[in-house]
Amino acid sequence: MKIRTRLTLWYATILIVSLILMGVGTYQQIAEQMRHDHRQHLWEHALNETSEMVFQVGLPAIVLGLLGGWWITRRALAPVTRLTEAVEKIHDRNLREPLPRTGNGDELDRLTEVFNAMTARLDGSFQRIREFTLHASHELKTPLTVMRGELETALREENFTPVQRERLLSQIDEIERLAKIVDALTLLTRADAGQITLNLETIHLDELLRESFADAKILAQPQNIQVNLTACEPVCISGDRHRLRQLLLNLTDNAIKHNRPAGTVTVSLCRNNGTAELKIVNTGPGLAPELQPRVFERFFRGDSSHSSAVDGCGLGLSIAQWIVAAHHGTIRFASEPGKETAVTVRLPVE
Amino acid sequence: MRVLVVEDEKKTASFIRKALQADGFAVDVCDRGDDALAAAAATPFDGIVLDIMLPGRDGLSVLRQLREGKNHTPVLLLSARGEVNERVEGLNAGADDYLPKPFAVAELVARVRALGRRGAESKVPVLRVGDLTLDTILHRAERGGQFFDLTAREFRLLEFLMRSAGRTCGRMSIIEKVWDYDFDPGTNLVDVYIKRLREKIDGGFEPKLLHTVRGAGYVLAAR
Repeated sequence: MKIRTRLTLWYATILIVSLILMGVGTYQQIAEQMRHDHRQHLWEHALNETSEMVFQVGLPAIVLGLLGGWWITRRALAPVTRLTEAVEKIHDRNLREPLPRTGNGDELDRLTEVFNAMTARLDGSFQRIREFTLHASHELKTPLTVMRGELETALREENFTPVQRERLLSQIDEIERLAKIVDALTLLTRADAGQITLNLETIHLDELLRESFADAKILAQPQNIQVNLTACEPVCISGDRHRLRQLLLNLTDNAIKHNRPAGTVTVSLCRNNGTAELKIVNTGPGLAPELQPRVFERFFRGDSSHSSAVDGCGLGLSIAQWIVAAHHGTIRFASEPGKETAVTVRLPVE
Repeated sequence: MRVLVVEDEKKTASFIRKALQADGFAVDVCDRGDDALAAAAATPFDGIVLDIMLPGRDGLSVLRQLREGKNHTPVLLLSARGEVNERVEGLNAGADDYLPKPFAVAELVARVRALGRRGAESKVPVLRVGDLTLDTILHRAERGGQFFDLTAREFRLLEFLMRSAGRTCGRMSIIEKVWDYDFDPGTNLVDVYIKRLREKIDGGFEPKLLHTVRGAGYVLAAR
């Protein structure tokens, strides 16, 4: 129940009770007066007089009072309504804009002031996250750049034995891997802070899928894995081309890497109830049911014994999940250990 | 060719200078953004290697200032921030190329060399490296009288390598130019494609044309 309705009801109750009290009081007074005057038809007359008073004066006064009360509460509560509307429009990117204040120093003005101070503090925290990611990436990559550059310079300028060379080259590979992890982490942290904007355009998802399917077939050949495209219905969605390509490559590559030798990967894209449904099924070892909810966690690896055999930084599915969420879609992971694993992505159709 | 390197990190500036000098460039080094503007105004450079995070004035602002002043010296941007849209932002501000840190030195040198050729890039329809011929109009590749069956992607990869014949092509440049990805795919996509391409164009032929530059990328050359 709205505050306004509640206040009006209380107000009405109070008025009616006072009216009854007034009626009772008036009746007693009139009766007293009549007894004093020794007049006949005592009770009847007093009752008539009272009801006349109550209905002709009291009731109109109640109606007027109620209308006035309703109007006053409405006026008093209008700033709250405006405040609610303003607060509803707040999100992480416009925290810096303060809510408009009336400046009359009342309780609501004070509330607005406190609220503005709170959003300013929040904005400060967001700002610090933003700066942190910016600096973290820079601070981590600068030494990596120096390490890599100096190793390469040494390799070029000095004479090493083949064994020494191999050792240095392997270090360069590790530096590259570390740089990829830093990149992926920065991307995810920035995504968490809502700092990445998508370049939305109309995307023919089926075309993107065909393209990454061609890449997937070639990626799968060294492991002798069969990649099939069983359905590819024409679907248009509103999305960011680069991020969607990243998603497709990410998921198909994952399905190839976590597969048994000579296994299969089956990809399909269908239109289903206003969504584009992308399904990628593989014959990998799968995941135990208790581990499945954790599959999108950062650095999660299903089977520790496989971690060295499968390269990648353990952030691929987290990034995939972010891309899907940023496109207002859903991603689901379902696995029957030893049989098949399916990743289903649903994206809203344009 | 004379190149200005604007980089505030001493060690990075030092190995970039060494590598460029080893490749025959004359190199000036500058460690502040505002100094870089003055240097670029005073000397006509053939190329500028510009870091984005700089004291004094950041790289993007230096770049915008240069372009506003009608200075069209080719610029290669370097960045350690690794933001998704930074490359687009840099190119929009007037950069000719963008390289994220950490990079392979050989790739940096190759890109600086390519800066000097901007605009004059050969658009000849038939490319030749050794006895390998690629006809971009008839869409076919041939070596020693044998025609190769190439997928569209393999064809674009071969064309890119042949257009930069003799220069090291880093994985990042290949990903950008052949796949048009603005992200690191985090897979061995490039290596798998190179391996297939190598089997086709070098299998049973001598001399080998497609070479791996470990830690840097690939180069197509008749050595």
